[in-house]
Amino acid sequence: MSELDFENQLHAIAKTMNYPRTPDIAGFVSSRLRHFDRLSAAPVTKPRLLSRTWAWSLTIVFVLLSSLLLIPPARAAIIEFIQIGIVRIFPRPIEPPIEMPQTATPHSFAPVTATPYLESSTLLIDLSRLAGERTLSQAQTLVASYYPILLPTYPPDLGEPDHVFVQDADGSITILVWLDPRDPEKVLMSLHFIPEGSWAIHKSEPVTIQETFVNGQGAVWAVGPYPLRLSNGDLEFMRLIEGHVLIWAVEDVTYRLETALPFVEALKVAESLQPLP
Amino acid sequence: MDEPTLIRRAASGDAAAWESLVLAHQQAVFRLAYLLLGDADDAEDIAQETFLRAWKALQRFDPTRLLRPWLLSIAANLSRNRRRSAGRYLAAMTRAFREQPIETPLAEASAQNTDANNLWKAVQHLDLPDQQIVYLRYFLELSVTETAETLRVAEGTVKSRLSRALEKLRRIIHQDFPVLAEGREA
Repeated sequence: MSELDFENQLHAIAKTMNYPRTPDIAGFVSSRLRHFDRLSAAPVTKPRLLSRTWAWSLTIVFVLLSSLLLIPPARAAIIEFIQIGIVRIFPRPIEPPIEMPQTATPHSFAPVTATPYLESSTLLIDLSRLAGERTLSQAQTLVASYYPILLPTYPPDLGEPDHVFVQDADGSITILVWLDPRDPEKVLMSLHFIPEGSWAIHKSEPVTIQETFVNGQGAVWAVGPYPLRLSNGDLEFMRLIEGHVLIWAVEDVTYRLETALPFVEALKVAESLQPLP
Repeated sequence: MDEPTLIRRAASGDAAAWESLVLAHQQAVFRLAYLLLGDADDAEDIAQETFLRAWKALQRFDPTRLLRPWLLSIAANLSRNRRRSAGRYLAAMTRAFREQPIETPLAEASAQNTDANNLWKAVQHLDLPDQQIVYLRYFLELSVTETAETLRVAEGTVKSRLSRALEKLRRIIHQDFPVLAEGREA
């Protein structure tokens, strides 16, 4: 049987799949939106009873965490970091949160159609000391079996990165770097693709952290300066980051967008990522 | 009213416009979550959360893009996180805590012994990325373009991943679901 025949068979069989009746999601969502304005429509509470599996699961988690919290060292370990993908953030005591983009009328933000004015940060990466420089197509070939290299389509005039690095750190980490055209010694933005199993990155004590979403995926926005520590159990490397960073994970890849852009712009860049043509 | 118009109105705070969009896409979102999680209650949770998160992020959504792949992408991420975060470990613990095991929807489904349920069981033998692409393409009948947008990969990548997934699925059906294989060959 050819692949086409097999596909046709799959289509035909899958069509007969007997699904449970689709519940009234629209009714639930509408009732939530009627009661809360856009800002408070957070998806964290649900009036419906949890399924039995999850009720049991949550009970067990609660019991386990309660037990652990009785032990001071364990308590410290639980409450003192946030993990997104492979990145752990050890925050300072939480300061007043920064403004979020969900406000109806963001007022610290250029018009949507305008190309953002990119401010270069202090040098984020000492490029001369960074190993594994490749062309974009070489990098794509090298990491193709692990993850796709995505490029921002926002801002529209950003173009391809000026430098591309692929580094083996128990997993092929890709780093894309855009330089400031007005001052090529400075970095505008860098985007890191960190596959699962790579070195753990510990981002310590940012000034401000804020939980957010990138295309619906949990993310963290952190504002430096802070020391960044990379480790794999045997080796350790530390450097000072003075830019901001947006961190999120999709499947087994953790993304870090280091930039001097404000939060809303960084989010737009992150959400504009598209695979290479 | 066309979808881009509804999206623009919803993004400007029109809840009725959003409800129309939810109605249009709730079945696909719920079904994808159900296929990935195998539990209707969990799928309902995921579908609700998908539409609330999407509403919250709608101002940043480009209305010229298709909405369904974006929603399915959110639902798939949430489903994957749910499977991964507590998933197997907690399910095992939960079973250990129960006096009487509860029959899973999968067991109920298999009792119906239909080709579709056998196919679903066969697909569950694949790894998660392969499952996801098969569900999107064959169970939800997305086009290659929509599948690529949902998975945020190039169309060529969808085709190559599908080809590999189908090859694995053929082997699984041949080895573990001979009834299904016989049905296909008949």
